[in-house]
Amino acid sequence: MQKPLTSPAFCPFGAEECPLPAETQRLQEECDRLRELSQTDPLTGLFNRRHLKAALDQEMERTRRTGLPTSLIMVDLDYFKRVNDTFGHQTGDEALKWATQVWRRNLRRIDILCRYGGEEFTIILPGTRLQAALRAAKRLQTALINAPVPLPDRKIHLTASFGVDTFTARDELTVRGFLKRADRYLLEAKVQGRNRICHQKPETAKRTPEVTVDERTALFGPRTLPAKGMARKNRPSSKG
Amino acid sequence: MAKTTIRNSKPVTACLSSGKGGVGKTSLTVNLAFALAQKGARVLVVDGDLGLANVDVLLGLQVQTTIRDILDRGADPLEAVVYVEPQLGVLPSSSGVPDLANLGPEDHQELGGILRSIGSHFDVVLVDTAAGIGSSVLWFNTFVDYNILVLTPDPTAMTDAYALIKVLSRDYQRKSFHLLLNNVKNETEARQVYEHLARVASHFLDLRLEYLGGVPHDPAVSKGVRDQVPFIKIAPQSKAALTLSRHADRILGWSDSKPVRKTAV
Repeated sequence: MQKPLTSPAFCPFGAEECPLPAETQRLQEECDRLRELSQTDPLTGLFNRRHLKAALDQEMERTRRTGLPTSLIMVDLDYFKRVNDTFGHQTGDEALKWATQVWRRNLRRIDILCRYGGEEFTIILPGTRLQAALRAAKRLQTALINAPVPLPDRKIHLTASFGVDTFTARDELTVRGFLKRADRYLLEAKVQGRNRICHQKPETAKRTPEVTVDERTALFGPRTLPAKGMARKNRPSSKG
Repeated sequence: MAKTTIRNSKPVTACLSSGKGGVGKTSLTVNLAFALAQKGARVLVVDGDLGLANVDVLLGLQVQTTIRDILDRGADPLEAVVYVEPQLGVLPSSSGVPDLANLGPEDHQELGGILRSIGSHFDVVLVDTAAGIGSSVLWFNTFVDYNILVLTPDPTAMTDAYALIKVLSRDYQRKSFHLLLNNVKNETEARQVYEHLARVASHFLDLRLEYLGGVPHDPAVSKGVRDQVPFIKIAPQSKAALTLSRHADRILGWSDSKPVRKTAV
């Protein structure tokens, strides 16, 4: 078995002067830095799209195994191009950073906030049901409205559109499929006029209603129904 | 009373579910278990109401180890079984632990293994499930051989029982359901309710429902619940106890005609 590099059995420079431990540590740090770089968006310091996909894959697998749902919030800052056009890209970048800091403060430590690209962000909410994810989205929406970007001479008021979706163990979806489905709700929010939350409808999240109106009527009806032809009981009599 | 002794390597497993809460499901499960034990069967009652256990409350048991302890920290399942009679064991659940009501597929798989291994020490395993159509209710119902639906003659109880039957037949391919009517005026009313529900199920779901029987309204039942003593023990000659004892005979008969689920041996 190989001995660990940090404790060489013998070094020609002597144990005190041996360069290996320092070099190993430098390489380890470099490795960590590169890993972080490969997962991080340089501007906001958030996770990037690459990490999003890996993390989402893992959380969806957790849902399949534990039965606890995974929720996803897709966010887009409204009319962000105007901010860039009006105040310049540097201010635009500051505004992006500001918004993500506001959101970070309003999320749990387990939630994974990623920059999807441009002014679009994705948040993975592990082990979270739709209703709880909707409350989180509402919190993010309100927090952003209540915290305009402070510039030296003015404040920029930002709003965002949200698409919320939940993956359960009953769903058969890939990472791509889930992102695509959630993205549709974001698109819906934008089409409906922005600064709003659109989400998976509880009806489609749940199974179809268990008892139909016909069945309920029959169950609540008199206990002496004809066995067959119940549906035709309102047919006009053939007599006369 | 002639004692029946059944010695199968695999027990008869049955679930008592209701759809609606408050129809006397736990009370009937416990009393049915006592009736079966009195007839010589070794009976295990599993408290399947994982989030809101109450079999132990109904029997006034002091619970040390629960299903949750078995799943969470690998407690010995056989040690968790509390014997209320030499022939009658209870596998308690934990009260007020909502996350246990929503077990994932892996937990269910583990629970299935545990129940199979403890079950082999018994002749009959009765599972008292939670009300509603939660994932654990559905899972217990697919795990057992026999599905018993407990309901009262009130239309909402009938509708909720029907909803559960519908989901189990449509999504889980369960085809055989036995109705146990609680709190009925008499046998005629029990039959009437059964036939009504059977007609609706036949018409809409193309299913044939079986009639297990009715348990008449009886002050002994509510007294038993209040005093945390099974009515079948404190009032063995009450109408409710006598009819339930007959239903227990039916269940004992199932051990001879157990449905073959997989490959026949």
